[in-house]
Amino acid sequence: MRLSRLGWLLASFAVAALLVWGWQLIADYKLVSPVFLPGPDRAWGALVKGFSTGDLGVKLLATVERMFWGWLIASLIGIALGAAIGTSPRLRAYLAPMLEFLRPLPASAMIPVAIAVLGLSNGMVLAVIAFGALWPVLLATIHGFSAVEPRLYEVGRALGLSRASVIWKIALPSASPDILAGMRLGLTVALILSVVCEMIAGRDGLGNWILLAARSFRAPDLYAGVILLGVLGYVTAVALAALEARLLVWRSRAR
Amino acid sequence: MRAPDTTVKAAAPVIAFDKITLAFGAKTIISDLSLEIGRGEIVCVIGPSGCGKTTALRVAGGLIPPTKGTVRLLGEPMAGPRRDVAIVFQDYAKALLPWRTAAGNISLALEAAGVAQSERGDRIRDLLTKVGLAGHEDKYPTEMSGGMQQRIQIARCLAQDPAVLLMDEPFGALDAMTRQGLQDEMLAIVAETGATVFFVTHDLEEAVYLGDRVIGLLPHPGRIGIDQRIDLPRPRNQLETRETLEFLRLRRTLFDFIEKAEH
Ligand SMILES: Nc1ncnc2c1ncn2[C@@H]1O[C@H](COP(=O)(O)OP(=O)(O)O)[C@@H](O)[C@H]1O
Ligand SMILES: [Mg+2]
Repeated sequence: MRLSRLGWLLASFAVAALLVWGWQLIADYKLVSPVFLPGPDRAWGALVKGFSTGDLGVKLLATVERMFWGWLIASLIGIALGAAIGTSPRLRAYLAPMLEFLRPLPASAMIPVAIAVLGLSNGMVLAVIAFGALWPVLLATIHGFSAVEPRLYEVGRALGLSRASVIWKIALPSASPDILAGMRLGLTVALILSVVCEMIAGRDGLGNWILLAARSFRAPDLYAGVILLGVLGYVTAVALAALEARLLVWRSRAR
Repeated sequence: MRAPDTTVKAAAPVIAFDKITLAFGAKTIISDLSLEIGRGEIVCVIGPSGCGKTTALRVAGGLIPPTKGTVRLLGEPMAGPRRDVAIVFQDYAKALLPWRTAAGNISLALEAAGVAQSERGDRIRDLLTKVGLAGHEDKYPTEMSGGMQQRIQIARCLAQDPAVLLMDEPFGALDAMTRQGLQDEMLAIVAETGATVFFVTHDLEEAVYLGDRVIGLLPHPGRIGIDQRIDLPRPRNQLETRETLEFLRLRRTLFDFIEKAEH
């Protein structure tokens, strides 16, 4: 069990190393023009330089902050709204068709609307990110709350639990696996929208860094930005998975 | 030991169904059912599947209001679930919180009753010992066998300090050995606490073995078809009691009743 997991980890590192090595070969033999594809050595150099002498760190922080706040707002609204809708069959019947209509709209389609209403402000960017990240959280929360075992509500009634206790001690923990899965999806959406908004609205951040690098043919800088985005996505996903494992210990302990 | 205290029983029924009728829409499930259960009595309820046993138990627990008639608990009309009426559900796996350990599940009842956190630990340990699960407080329900899960549910009910235990086929899903063990544990607990028990089962032998009385329901709509006293001496014993002529005779009576009720 342990050993095979270690094996998989090693194997995936090997694959990654192989890909980087292939990338280096392609760059070294100039199979693709170095204007478009610098080798990993040059991308790495740009990354180090960006952090040490440039303001790549500041850009990274700006993107992280944007993503985090947008995602947090989306999560809070999504959980509160989802709990209300999920626990009320009436509300669900009323709102379900509308939610199904709004859900597939890509959040980036909202950007022009948001710009028209809120201008090219930080508020606009935050609104777009929160709006986009809201859907996965909201829908997962609704599902989680509507799928609570009815027997558990009866247990709550039989024990004389208050309404608040029923929500806090029965419904919320029962829905938590769904909520966390929705929040994980929401975080990915938040990252994507942060970058897109930075590109479209010219807000300072990794998205803007990548766009400017591309426009002025600074390919190593561009790749440094892309690598950083990948790392950011990976780190946040791992952090959330760790949080999930902690909160949902009871799931992994099943016989 | 359980003393068959007839004077107290006559004085105040703990549960009284007074002409209960229950309908779901146009379908009458229970019709004009009257029943009195005395203090400390163990009443087993049998009947063909779908005759309304579970429904009657849910009415007794205040989970569904009767369409007509009143249920009285210790003389008071039932307005809804009460903490001194505990319900043991058949499907223990669904009735436990999977995200709480054994101790956490029992704690839920104490939290609901407003027991201070400092007192909960000792109470939980006592209850776990009572149901034979000392040392298992940190296990999650999914890490336990069916019998252990049902014991947790029983412990949670005992945490309510109930005057009445409503049990809906609590051992129906367990294997024979576990079932017999739990039957005896339940009898011992009930003897100690003096709780009144309303015990639904489809196992006729279980009904005779546990009960002071067995009520047989007839279907369509549910009503009482037989009210059989069980005068087997206590404490009962899985081998000896089940081999007595009286036990076999009672089993036969109920068997014949079910035969007729199903046709
Ligand atoms: N919530 C409900 N709505 C409509 N019919 C129900 C409901 N609950 C039970 N019934 C019906 O009532 C009848 C008695 O059910 P139940 O009390 O569960 O029977 P038993 O426990 O004796 O097997 C069944 O025909 C069942 O279909
Ligand atoms: Mg039933």
